[in-house]
Parts: sequence; structure tokens; C-alpha cells
Amino acid sequence: VCAQLGISSRQHWQKVLYKRQPFPDNYVDQRFLEELRKNIHARKYQFWAVVFESSVVIQQLCSVCVFVVIWWYMDVGLLAPQLLFGAGLVLSLIGYVLFDAIDSGVGRKERGQTRWSDLKSSLVFVAFTYGFSPVLKTLTESVSTDTIYAMSVFMLLGHLIFFDYGANAAIVSSTLSLNMAIFASVCLASRLPRSLHAFVMVTFAIQIFALWPMLQKKLKAQNPCSYVGVTLLFALFALVGLLTISSVGAILFTLLLASISFLCPYCLIELQLLKDNIHGPWDEAEIKEDLSRFIS
Amino acid sequence: MVFKVFFPICCSAAESGLLVGCWIPEQNSVVILAVIHFPFIPGQVKQYLSDVQHVTQVNMSVLGSWCNSKQEKEEGLDKFLEDLGAIFSHNPWVLLSREKGSKFWNCSTIWKRSSGNEEDEIILVYYDQRKVMLSELHPPENLATSTHCKADDASKLTAVFDTVAKSKILFMTDQYDDGPIKLTHWQSEGVEASIIVELMKQASVPACTLMTFLLSVVSSICKSRVLKFWPLSFIWSKLSTCEQLGHRLEHLQTISSIRKAKTQAQLMRKANIFVSLLVDVALGMLLMSWLYRKNRIGQLADTLIPVADHVAKELQDLLQWLMGVPAGLKMNRALDQVLGRFFLYHIHLWISYIHLMSPFIEMILWYVGLSACLGLTMALSILSDIIALLTFHIYCFYVYGARLYCLKIYGLSSLWRLFRGKKWNVLRQRVDSCSYDLDHSLLALCCLQSCCFCCPRLHCITWCLLW
Repeated sequence: VCAQLGISSRQHWQKVLYKRQPFPDNYVDQRFLEELRKNIHARKYQFWAVVFESSVVIQQLCSVCVFVVIWWYMDVGLLAPQLLFGAGLVLSLIGYVLFDAIDSGVGRKERGQTRWSDLKSSLVFVAFTYGFSPVLKTLTESVSTDTIYAMSVFMLLGHLIFFDYGANAAIVSSTLSLNMAIFASVCLASRLPRSLHAFVMVTFAIQIFALWPMLQKKLKAQNPCSYVGVTLLFALFALVGLLTISSVGAILFTLLLASISFLCPYCLIELQLLKDNIHGPWDEAEIKEDLSRFIS
Repeated sequence: MVFKVFFPICCSAAESGLLVGCWIPEQNSVVILAVIHFPFIPGQVKQYLSDVQHVTQVNMSVLGSWCNSKQEKEEGLDKFLEDLGAIFSHNPWVLLSREKGSKFWNCSTIWKRSSGNEEDEIILVYYDQRKVMLSELHPPENLATSTHCKADDASKLTAVFDTVAKSKILFMTDQYDDGPIKLTHWQSEGVEASIIVELMKQASVPACTLMTFLLSVVSSICKSRVLKFWPLSFIWSKLSTCEQLGHRLEHLQTISSIRKAKTQAQLMRKANIFVSLLVDVALGMLLMSWLYRKNRIGQLADTLIPVADHVAKELQDLLQWLMGVPAGLKMNRALDQVLGRFFLYHIHLWISYIHLMSPFIEMILWYVGLSACLGLTMALSILSDIIALLTFHIYCFYVYGARLYCLKIYGLSSLWRLFRGKKWNVLRQRVDSCSYDLDHSLLALCCLQSCCFCCPRLHCITWCLLW
């Protein structure tokens, strides 16, 4: 040790690999811990801001809930398909007008989308779904109903898991989540009494799983106050719908929503205090530049 | 030194006479090539030997006398033989004699030198003249390193072999030649026995030429452009009869080619093809003689239609079973019905076609049977074609099933990629992520679900039909 110290006093240690130095490979000097940093990525969260952000999850949960409730009504025959179709049409038109009105048509111009193309694609939808509904109806005839239910549950869960809530993670895939939702809707629709029911059900699924989140996203970006109002209304609607089917389910769903929107943000903020991340020269190298523009 | 006498086996039965051969003084050995029989004129013998020597470059001379006494030993013969040595002066003079009823031969030498009074040992070596003539002695490879004694031995033997090989011309004269001198040595069997073969050899050349011409005409017709268009060429490739005909044409061309076979293998190949052709035709003839006796063709035709009917009925039963609940598997009913009816209709069509054909089947079989005279293989290939044509509907099912199955697998794989929001990038040969439009994904999803739920059904049908 004395000899080593003698050497180190004479020769200064450098953190480089290209020089031959009289130190062992794992040698570090006293300055090693000087570069230690703690919690550099920790953020200070505001409680209400977190609650506001969690509303996306609430919305999606409510969408699934509303979809299942509507399906149940159709299955038992309490809701006529014509009525649902009419309501869906009217609501879609209102949403379409709103969609343009929120940013006064700026987004549409940016994407170069015309009203004609919108109309065309919606017509294709309706025609195709209508034509295919008898096939969809008979497709799963020989499959057991329990299998269908299990498959739908898994698909809806997958939809909730893979949905794009705004997080930047690898698991997020909006196409996959939408596909899974529509798959579930087709599965459930095949259990309805007639092919018209199936057609209306699939249309409704597209409205609530594809169009409704688009409107929400825009609303949230442009007009946060009204977004909160819409979310509350939607959640209330879902809860009431569920209450008419089963009170226990409604209570559980309320608890779930409350825990997601209030308990989880509270826990997040509380647990931030316990955060103890250390950073230093031993960290892996990180590529700072955004390379995604080269990849795509 | 040991005195060696190389004596050909074929001469051991020769009549008495003179031994003709070659004297190799370095090795103290005598190679006897032939025996000249007794009534001869010495001048002619000398003349003959010098002629032969001129041609073969072998130092031939009269070496001694050969006595094969069939009768009792005559008095004075020994003396005569010894006197011969005086006429054909040669040193040494070999006296070989074989006595009747005795296994032992007498062999002695007379040396002119008075000093050579010592009794030499004599070794009589028999050799097969033909084999020695045709073979060649190769000296051992590591000649320099091995002992010199062995090398010397080898070179001595080589000299003997060379001598016999060089005097090949001597053996060409056969025993029926009426020359002034009668010789005994190895000789070929003579040409008289193979006159027929010779005649055939002579005749085969024009026959082969004619056949080659005919075959080239036939093959040029076969290769003509008219027969190469798409549907025809496809049919040719599918029919085994055409393939068989092609093979047969090729074989005939090989046999009848005028060029001489260069190697032994080629010759064997030609002979092999020829014999197989003959056997084939013979078997075909047998088959024909069996078929055209006792109206067997008619019986065959009568049994063919019921068999086809039976097969069709079995197939129909199978399809009915598949359209229900095969092995307890519940399947997609609508698809079931569609596919099942399609196949049933197919079978129905086929059966009606066969019934339409039934009056002509006997006639067709009669003419087809004639093809057996071209060979058994031809008949068999035609039979295989007929069976293939009779079971054409089953083949059709197979093709449909395979196509459907392939389509389904391909569709499922690409739709599964679409379901995950990916697509196959053809340019980069990999799977890329891709954001689809809403209508695309909906359409694809419906297709995926159809595929998914029809999958087990199709599996079932395909496997049953393929089996």
C-alpha cells in the first residue's frame, strides 16, 4: 500500500484507457464520489395536475364500461338497435362538428383531410360492416358462449393495457389496442339475436373506441376545462348505466375510478419522497439525441 | 548355372517334331514358342524362321527336338533326334521327350562344347502362352532401394514376357492354313464358327443406319414446335406414357448408334439396354397372350365401372361424415355445407362422366392392350395413366384442399401481423411497424376473424381430403 501511495503521489492517476498506468484495473482515486448525483430526474408533482392527467384512464375505463352496458341492454332486448344506431349517428355528427369547431379547422388543414374523404371512409365503414354482419353473426356459432365471453374479456383488457395514454413506452400500440377492442366487439356482437344488432354493435364499437378518444385528445389539448366536465359527465353516465344492471358492480366500479383518480396520484406524490436514485460516472452511456427520425 | 526351359502348355499334346523358340544366353534359358511337326524340309523351316524373325524382330531358331511317343519306343529315334541337332546346329540342343503312360518327361541338353561336360540342372517351366502374351510385367516401383537380386530377377522375367509378346504374329496363323510347315502353338478358335456372327456384323451396320434415320425422324417430330405449346407440353409432362416413350426412344437411339463403343463400360451399357429391351418385349408379349385369351378384357372392363362407383360412394360417405360432426368436433356449419356440397357436386359430375364412357371402355382397353407388344413397361405406364385419369376427381380435391390451405395459412400470417400493427416490408425483407387507417384495420379484422374461426374446419377438411 505504501508503495502504491508513493507511486500515486508521484504519478497522477487519470481515468483513461489509452495510457499505460501503474495502477490496478479497478483503481479509483478520492474524486470518485465527487460526481455522485441524487434524484436528478425526480419531478415535483402537483396533486390536481396528476388527477387531471389520470382522467385519460378514467375515460377509457368508462368507455369499456359503457360498451359492455350497451351490449347487455341489446342482448336482453331493452334497447332497440335502430334507436342505438340513430343516437350513435346523431352523437357522431355532433362530435364531428365539435372536432372541427374546437380548433376552428386548423388540424384538418394541417393533415390535408377533406370532408369528402371523411364521408367516403365512413360510408365504406357502414356499407362494409352492414354487408359483413351476417357473416360475423354466424362465424362463431359453433364456438361456446363461455369461450366468447372469455375472449372478449381478454381482448378488452388488452385494449386497456395497450392503449396510448400519452406515456412514451414500448408496450403502447394504438393499432393493436384498437384491433383488440374491435375483435371483442365482433365476438360479443355474434351473440346478439340478429344480424342488424351485430351491425349496430360493431358500428357503436368503432364510434366509442376509435372516434371518441380522438375527440377527447383534441378537447384535452385545446380546452381543458370543458374536458374535465365531459369526463365527469361520461363517468356519471357509465356509473348510472352500470347501476341499472348491478348495484354491486356500480359500487366496485366507483371505487376503482376513485382509487385511480385520487388514491393513485396521492400515493405517487407520497412515494416521491422516498425516491433515492443515484447517478454517477458508473452509469451506462445514454444517447441524448432523438434518433427516431432516422429510424422511421 | 541352372538351365531353364519355358514350355507352353498347349504344346504338351503336340506331335513329335522340332522345338522352335528363342535362346536367351544371358539367363541361360530357352523360351519355346512352337513345335514344328515332323514331315518337313529343313530348308523350308530355315526360310520360314528367317521370315518370322524378320517380321517379329525376335531371334528365333530351332532349339531342339520334341518327342511325344504315342507308340512303343522305336529304335533309332533317339539317334535320329540327336542327328537333327547336327542339321540345325544350335548350342545347346534341347531334347524333350514324353513317353506314353508315364507322367515323367525326359529333358536333356547337348552342349557342343566339349568342356560343358558337367551335368546342369534343368528346370522346365510351363507357361500359358496366351496369358503371357497379353500381359505385361511391371517391375516393382522401389526398384533402386530394394535388393539388386530381385531387380535382376524381374528383368529376366521381363525378357521372357517380351519375347512371347513380340512373337504375336506367329500365333496369328491358324491350324487350318495349308502352309509347308505344320506348327503347334496357342491360337485363336478360328473364324469359321462365327460366320453367322460375321454376317450379322455386316448386316447390322445398314440396319443401324436405317433405324437411326427413322428414330431421328420420330424424335424431330416429337421436338417440333407445334407440340411445345403450353397446354400440350403440360399434358406431356403429366402423362407417364409419354415419359416412357421418351425413355424408349433414347434407348433405341443409344443401341442403334453407328459409333463404336469406346470403353468397356459403354459397351456393357449398350448390351444391357439391348437385353432389357428384349426381356421387356418378351414379357409384354406374354401379357398380351394372357389378356386376349378367354375374353379377359371384357371381364376387366365389367369390373372397372363398379369399382369406380364404389370409390365414389365411399368418398360421398366420407364427405357426409365431414359435413356433420366429424369425431365430435363442432365446426362452422355454413362453411361446412358450402364446401361439402361443392365436393359432392364434383363427385356427381365425375360419376356421370364415367357412366357416359362405360360403353367404350372395353374397346379402349382392347386397343390399349395392343401396346403391350411394345413392352411390358409401356403397358404398365399406360395402366398407370388410366388409373390416374379414373381418379382425377380425387386429385382435384387434393389440389383444391392444398390451395385453400395455403391461402388460409398465408392470410392468417399476414393478418396476424396487421392485427399487431405491423407489416412485411418487401424491400428490406423484415417486419416493420405501420399505422393503418381505420377502415383498413376494420376490414382486415373481419377477415382475420373469418379466417380464425374457419381455420379448424378447413384444417379438418383439408387433412381428411389429403389423406
